[in-house]
Amino acid sequence: MISKNTRSWLALIVGLVLFGMGSACGPKTSDNKEGGSTPATKKYVKTGKEGSISGAVAYEGTPPPAKKIDASADPVCAKNANLETEENVVKDGKLANVFVYIKDGTLADGTKITGLSFDVPSTEVPLDQNGCHYVPHVSGAQVGQKLKITNSDPTQHNIHFTPKNNDDWNQSQPNGAPPMTHEFKRAEVLVPVKCNQHPWMKAYVGVTKHPYFAITKADGTFEIKDVPPGKYTVVAWHEGPGNGTEKTLQVTVPASGAAKADFSFGAATAGAPSSLEMMPAIEVPIVGHH
Amino acid sequence: MADSPEATDALAKREPDVPAHDPIVSWSTSGIMLVCALLLTFSLAWSLYDEAIGQRPWKKMQREFVARYDRYLNSIRERASQGEDEIKNSPEYQALDAEANAAKEKVQPDIDQINAEVKKIQPKLDAVTEPFQNQRGKLTVINYNIEQASGGAKEKYRKQAEDKRNETVAVEMPDDDAAGKIKVVKMDYATLEKTYNDLREQKAKLLGDKAEKSRESQELAKKRDDYLKNHLTILTPSQIDGVKKGLKSFDYSILGHQVSVNDYNIADRCEVCHLGVRSPLTIRAEDMAPGGPGKDPDDLARAFVSHPNKELLDIHKPDRFGCSSCHWGNGRATTGEEKAHGLNKFWLWPMFEKENTEAGCQQCHSKDRVTQGAETLNLGRDLFSQRGCMGCHRYEGFDRETDALTNARQTISQLEDQITANDKLGRQDAAAAAEATDDTDARRLLAHAESLRVTNSLLAARIDQMNLQSKYLMQDQKKVGPNLKDVRLKLAKEWIPEWLKDPQAFRPGTKMPTFWRFSVDKNGDHEIKAISAYLWQTGFDGKTPDQQKGDVNNGKDLFETKGCLACHSLGAEDNKVGGTFAANLSKVGEKANFEYIVRWIHNPRERWAPYCPKHKRDLTADDYKQAGKPFVFDTELHSKCPIDGAELQVQNMTVMPNFRLSETEARDLATYLFSLSSRPGREATAFMDDPNLKEQGRQLIKQFGCAGCHEINGFEEEQRIGKELTVEGATPLERLDFATSTQDAEQGRDPLFKELFPDRKEKEWYTHKGFFEHKLADPSIYDKGKEKAPQDRLRMPKPYLTDEWRTALTTFLLGSVGTEGANVPKSLFYDPQDQRRQDIQNGWWLIKKYNCVGCHQVQVGQRSILMDLPQYSTPEGKDLLPPRLTSEGARVDPNWLLRFLHDPSLNGGQVPAATPAAQSNAPVGNAPQGGPQSGDKYPAQPGADRNGVRPYLKVRMPTFNFSPNELQTLVRFFMALSGQQEPYIKEQLDPLTEQDKLVAREMFTSGTPCLKCHITGEPAHDAKAIAPNFLLASERLKPEWTFRWLLDPSQISPGTAMPSGLFKRDGERWAVNLPKPPKDVADYHGDHARLLVRYMFLMSPDEQRRLLSASPAPPAAQPAAQNAHAPRRRLGSELGWFRAEKTERRNTVASLRSQRPLARAPN
Repeated sequence: MISKNTRSWLALIVGLVLFGMGSACGPKTSDNKEGGSTPATKKYVKTGKEGSISGAVAYEGTPPPAKKIDASADPVCAKNANLETEENVVKDGKLANVFVYIKDGTLADGTKITGLSFDVPSTEVPLDQNGCHYVPHVSGAQVGQKLKITNSDPTQHNIHFTPKNNDDWNQSQPNGAPPMTHEFKRAEVLVPVKCNQHPWMKAYVGVTKHPYFAITKADGTFEIKDVPPGKYTVVAWHEGPGNGTEKTLQVTVPASGAAKADFSFGAATAGAPSSLEMMPAIEVPIVGHH
Repeated sequence: MADSPEATDALAKREPDVPAHDPIVSWSTSGIMLVCALLLTFSLAWSLYDEAIGQRPWKKMQREFVARYDRYLNSIRERASQGEDEIKNSPEYQALDAEANAAKEKVQPDIDQINAEVKKIQPKLDAVTEPFQNQRGKLTVINYNIEQASGGAKEKYRKQAEDKRNETVAVEMPDDDAAGKIKVVKMDYATLEKTYNDLREQKAKLLGDKAEKSRESQELAKKRDDYLKNHLTILTPSQIDGVKKGLKSFDYSILGHQVSVNDYNIADRCEVCHLGVRSPLTIRAEDMAPGGPGKDPDDLARAFVSHPNKELLDIHKPDRFGCSSCHWGNGRATTGEEKAHGLNKFWLWPMFEKENTEAGCQQCHSKDRVTQGAETLNLGRDLFSQRGCMGCHRYEGFDRETDALTNARQTISQLEDQITANDKLGRQDAAAAAEATDDTDARRLLAHAESLRVTNSLLAARIDQMNLQSKYLMQDQKKVGPNLKDVRLKLAKEWIPEWLKDPQAFRPGTKMPTFWRFSVDKNGDHEIKAISAYLWQTGFDGKTPDQQKGDVNNGKDLFETKGCLACHSLGAEDNKVGGTFAANLSKVGEKANFEYIVRWIHNPRERWAPYCPKHKRDLTADDYKQAGKPFVFDTELHSKCPIDGAELQVQNMTVMPNFRLSETEARDLATYLFSLSSRPGREATAFMDDPNLKEQGRQLIKQFGCAGCHEINGFEEEQRIGKELTVEGATPLERLDFATSTQDAEQGRDPLFKELFPDRKEKEWYTHKGFFEHKLADPSIYDKGKEKAPQDRLRMPKPYLTDEWRTALTTFLLGSVGTEGANVPKSLFYDPQDQRRQDIQNGWWLIKKYNCVGCHQVQVGQRSILMDLPQYSTPEGKDLLPPRLTSEGARVDPNWLLRFLHDPSLNGGQVPAATPAAQSNAPVGNAPQGGPQSGDKYPAQPGADRNGVRPYLKVRMPTFNFSPNELQTLVRFFMALSGQQEPYIKEQLDPLTEQDKLVAREMFTSGTPCLKCHITGEPAHDAKAIAPNFLLASERLKPEWTFRWLLDPSQISPGTAMPSGLFKRDGERWAVNLPKPPKDVADYHGDHARLLVRYMFLMSPDEQRRLLSASPAPPAAQPAAQNAHAPRRRLGSELGWFRAEKTERRNTVASLRSQRPLARAPN
């Protein structure tokens, strides 16, 4: 009886020991599961049911008149008698040079547009220095799309992109120099462009991840084509003090349909003053100063 | 038979009581045995379990790590190969690849031919090798026999050798003509040897040719492969496979992941669980998420990440430093997170919490003012000195000027004692000599007396030097708070008690802490009255000159553009703009006198009356009058006491510099500040004139240590009242006075919980961290419930600190553990012995002291306050920022820098003539030549209203009145930061030939129209200029830096207005980047950029005028007038000062060197 008991105890103990040893020493070969797929952004494939967003940008009230530019510092530029500021190009109450783009939103199938990737067009976005101003004044490019920078003036310019989220780029381009190309690696609306030698020369380049942007024409109209159906936040940007002014609209693009988005800017809807301007002055009103 | 049943009965009856109760028979222990056995088994099982699993939680973690890491590697492998393909498809790689392939193809026929030849030679060599070596071996044996043999035997062997040499052997040579055929050739030894050597030589030559021919293509291939390696941002697929393979044989153990440094008794097992710390890939928490890469990470995933700062780990290699030396905690524990991190109750030094990690840096870097990469710690040090902690608390190394001044004064008094003693001894010797009996003795005594006199003159010279040192140190000594001797001149009387009661209410965020005692004590209000009364009654009595209100708009413009916002702020709460280094000025109008503020802005260093440390009082005009001297005092020529020549404190002890503003501008600025608020009606405070309160006030000021931060009459030599904090972090926990909060702290009840950590869980805070945080947040909690006399109770006021600031200061204190408390041996402390690193740290003290970083970017990556202001964030605004100083040492000549820092106007101390209309809005007509404008109460200042280098900037480099010591420290700092060697010897440039000049002029005006942007000193031209004058170049710049600047300025200063691409690489030289360069330029075959540098450095005013008239910009309306701004004249006049200064500086250095050992000696 007893010996039988002992045997079974012994067996149990030995078993436990072996089990313990086994679990202590036996490194389980890790089961090589299928590697989790990369969370890489999905590429958008056209469905043929794309629609469009179009509209017009109005300017309310009387825009401040364009100022003549004193270009006498460079005799070549002084020859262009028509040089004036291009902040508010308004014709019949319609505002040109407004950058309209899809900022955010979801496609009809629920994908976020910001999570998609798009083919980069091989066409180059022109930026010309002509008559001592940049043409076009406002342009747009996709991330990675090349800008072709030309100098049509018989004088030297330097093209200076001053972005916040991309690298600063400042290159000299003398008279007759071949075109240069530049591309931006990260979306940024908008990258200011200047020429240090001709401080009045300004331009803006809107850089987006997708191709859904447009710039208003002289009549204030724009059209963003080939937009996948979905609900979007559309932003119109117009240059102004500080970082410019933005207007936002929610737009639904139906399958193969057209959506409307009309914006309006103007003296009455000017951007908020910078914080320094908001400082109180008791004795003397500071409006109009600075 | 009758009794037989009886008998049977009896028998039967008796039977039961025979065996008494026998436990052995009747008891069974099997139950107990079973229980015991079960217990034993259970405990065995438990101990086995514990051994295998319970005490080894890391096993599971290691398995989990391997699984998750493998999954992550799989997920990035595809991306890695994509990345590789992308680079391989890039034009650069393709070009390199094509080049490498082309080079390879070009030499391929040659290589093939060589290979073919080698192939032919090899079989012949093989055929001849064996017979040759056989014969050679035999000959060697015979030769050995010759050497060993003697007499006739030698001859015998020689004969044998001769025979061997002549013996022919058959060699099976492959036939050249017929492939595969073999020709048998008979060869004697000489032929054999020659054939063998020839063939070997041929082969070696061919292989050498092959290596030579393929070298270029191999180099190009390496270049291509390096390009791929350097451009891959993550590992290559093959590297990833390598890591994966490593995981297959993962070492599941402690020892395999333990760091032991025997020398320092470190055995850290942190990496047993934190397995990703040193991973070659950067592992983020989301990469190791339980649900797969990119999903939500859990705690385990967070434990597997790689070290957040690889660079730091490269410097502090874990194999040498371990982990716990920096992070603290219990590096040996492996049984659980709590124990390993040292968070259990009896582990005295728990791991630093994440926000305080940099406390670990302070252990070894306690001598640094700025430690690279330890931003929180650096902020803590900034706060400790700038927010006035050091006003009460000594901290070794922080109070540099005061400590040095004390030393210098001690040294002076020791030297003076020694002189007196020597005098006495000398006189005794002289007297003894007169009495001496013997001439030799007399001569000896006289010689001794003489040598004592000479020694005394040497000691006197050293005293002179120490006096000069104390002059400089007094000039550099600053106070955190304003000078309270000025209260009567500066402040609204009634405002003072209001301020003392609650400074934060008047000016939220001010450096002045809240003295909560006034609210807690019964007679707190009375105490405020007494202190106010003392300050008021001991202040300077007098009147600042009357001032008219100025132009508020101009004042606003000046305030926003001159650089005031780099230190000062305006507005409250969300609308606050500007720096926190100095006071918020929104409410100056409520408290201050307009006239005083005008005077202050005009020259903040201008003191009302000088203080004499020797006489321990402020001097008056009468003191000067009695000495027959005018009442004039300044740092340059009038810094000595008129009574006995001791050095005086002649400046206000403020770091606020002099902006060299005109008095009109100072008025405009003050007018603007006073327009932001106005003085409200306040209750009269007649008690402030009560002489009875004065003495009580004096006691209270002493008790509260006000003089730590302020100059106060009668407290000039006051000592600090607080505890020294140099090793505060090493204080044993039980010696930190939690007072009545001890139990709360231990049990996790937190009186400040809501205020301090609204979003955390309430937890135990009986730790160093808890103590410091609570003390900094509200010192009064350690005073509650104490039974002590008011003067013995806690005095520490409540400072204003943001959460970030409190964390930074806590970090600083936690790490302040000294040598004894450090987890690292002293031999590992960072104590640079090389001059360069010392120069950098010495410089940082000054950079921080004067807040240079408010305006300038001194170091790559650091942002200035101005950079982040809205007006400097726009594309136009960026061009108006003060210059970046990241490469200042490489850029400028140190001698020039010294002069510039001394006088940033570069005006040679000249008082300006009437301000030119182009430079200022001030009315010009009524300004008398060379003097102040009418209505001005103060004399015009030297260099008023000019920027020496960049007059086109509105922001102004002010004059800091640095002492020669500080000037030198700063120059050395910038030189060291840029790794510049000293001394700097100016490079001599080749003079320009006429042809050189011609070419350079062409480049200046056509290709790179430099004068479009650079100023020339012609007002009409300069109105639109945005870059410095070339006439400064030779004095200011270093040619090599200028050359690099011309090639690619954006490399040196990203965002600069100066464009890149002005020159292009043309073979070995840099040529001007013009499609059609002018003929002379095209014909110049030297380096264009270097020529331009020489031209700039040798520029003369005449040459510049010539350029100006030839440049495309319109020529100046007027011919060049020799105005006050022509740099040549200015530089000339400056040199005089500079020479004097240089000599003086040299003397100072010499004196410092000679004095140093003495200053340190104990007696």
